[in-house]
Amino acid sequence: MNLSYRIYYVFFRNLISYKRFIVPTFVVSLGQPLFYLITFGIGLGAYLGYFGGKPYLQFLVPGILVSSVMLSSTFECLYYTFVKMVHQKLYVSMIATPVSAEDTVAGEVAWGAFRGLISGSLMLVVAMFMKVVPVSIINALLLLFLMAFVGTLFGSLAMIVTSFAPNFDFFNYYTELIITPMLFFSGVFFPLDKFPDWMKVLAKFLPLTHAVNISRAAFTGETASGLTNDFLYLVLLQIAAFYTGVKLMKRRLIK
Amino acid sequence: MDSVIVAKDLTKKFDDFTAVDHISFEIKERECFGFLGPNGAGKTTTIKMIHCVSPITSGSVTVFGEKSHIDNRRIKRETGVIPQEITLDEDLTVYENLLVFAKFFDIPGRVIKERIAELLDFVELDAKRNSKIDEISTGMKRRLLVARALLNKPRLIIADEPTTGLDPQARHLIWQRLRSLKSQGTTLILTTQYMEEAEQLCDRIVVMHQGHILKEGTPRKLIQDEIGAEVVEIRIPEEEDDRLIAHMGDASCGHERAGDTLYFYCRDGHELMRKVVDLNLSNVLNRPATLEDVFLKLTGRSLIE
Repeated sequence: MNLSYRIYYVFFRNLISYKRFIVPTFVVSLGQPLFYLITFGIGLGAYLGYFGGKPYLQFLVPGILVSSVMLSSTFECLYYTFVKMVHQKLYVSMIATPVSAEDTVAGEVAWGAFRGLISGSLMLVVAMFMKVVPVSIINALLLLFLMAFVGTLFGSLAMIVTSFAPNFDFFNYYTELIITPMLFFSGVFFPLDKFPDWMKVLAKFLPLTHAVNISRAAFTGETASGLTNDFLYLVLLQIAAFYTGVKLMKRRLIK
Repeated sequence: MDSVIVAKDLTKKFDDFTAVDHISFEIKERECFGFLGPNGAGKTTTIKMIHCVSPITSGSVTVFGEKSHIDNRRIKRETGVIPQEITLDEDLTVYENLLVFAKFFDIPGRVIKERIAELLDFVELDAKRNSKIDEISTGMKRRLLVARALLNKPRLIIADEPTTGLDPQARHLIWQRLRSLKSQGTTLILTTQYMEEAEQLCDRIVVMHQGHILKEGTPRKLIQDEIGAEVVEIRIPEEEDDRLIAHMGDASCGHERAGDTLYFYCRDGHELMRKVVDLNLSNVLNRPATLEDVFLKLTGRSLIE
């Protein structure tokens, strides 16, 4: 792994480009999760009333936060990275400078995480307007750390897909068959304990499940059992995904 | 002068296909060295191995005494690349394109502005500094690629078909800029399919074909060795070749039939032309030999896809 501080330069390139797209991306990254928050949180929540002793919205928000991070960083490292790689041929000239292929990919993962962090933070602000607030400042900071971490994880996973995507349409398999179902199998909208056993096992393999568990605990400050396992699973998956994503992308960038 | 780039048995394979096949060459400091060849000859693959963006299958190439390798940042730091494709950042302005690349080369913040201003001046793009990339012409994009390659004050510039798709004005401007860099002491590697470009810029060239180097030398020497001084082109039906060549007698020299034309390659075309005039043929051209003749003779006249 030929990584260096030049990761930041790749990030810097995106930052300069981003200032032109800031408003449209705010709208886009808020869109889907906000839609879930309003329809499920308010619409469905009105029927559900209290949910484990709390209003349904309280239950929903922590899950929606990490989901919005997941969606943003995934899309960034799928579509936007693909455009830069294949259509704009940006990386060809980037890797001819002292910026290595590893720096380039890691920079894009970091950027994907940053975009995720922005989406999640926006969602947190919206939630606070809806009177769903983390218990303390410390908990809010913990949530921000979690978002950056979850963004890096899903950015890395998306890089693996991008590394062998022949075209844009290929991403549909990943987003429609993995990412969207993950939203519904990870305990974002309802607890998993009424699932049949095989679905519970399946859910345990989904990184979002563990991210939701940690997010919920960080939001309320109530520690639940299994948090260490959640954290460990995500860290291990993160290391594996980042390493694989960078290696595979390097193979695509350098021939 | 010392050789700054030395390639020995350099080879590149993509699965079963050998793109570059055991080539060796040396490039001297402050020299302009040209790789000529048709599409797929292995020119671009060769230079990619030189500037460390393509892994070497076997053999080696050293640049400034350092072994080229995809993880060698030191060679990349000393090298400026003008790519064949226009790989500008379309999300950024002209100025921002240079700014971002200056960062890639660790150029300190306080000199970046000054350096960019100098370079925009050098390629005559100062008026366009705030334009988006899709708002400027192809010629301007190519010039911006030249400016971008110079940000790090490279010792070596690699220009991969730098004037493809340009009008004559823009082409001449790029040539002038490359010549002025050479006179400032930069070593230049050029790949091109334009023979005029090679004659204008290169001190030495190699002609590549199917991964091999066919010939190496100065443009003038290659023309003399391979072709002579003059070419006589005669457009007659192929059946009449033998009769015509017999008629030339002692005046005849090396000849080649390609399509509808018979080519004579001569040290001196006068004698031959006198005989041709006797025949009163209508479609005859006597002209000086060019690098293009060398190129076509060596790499064949058939289309290469």
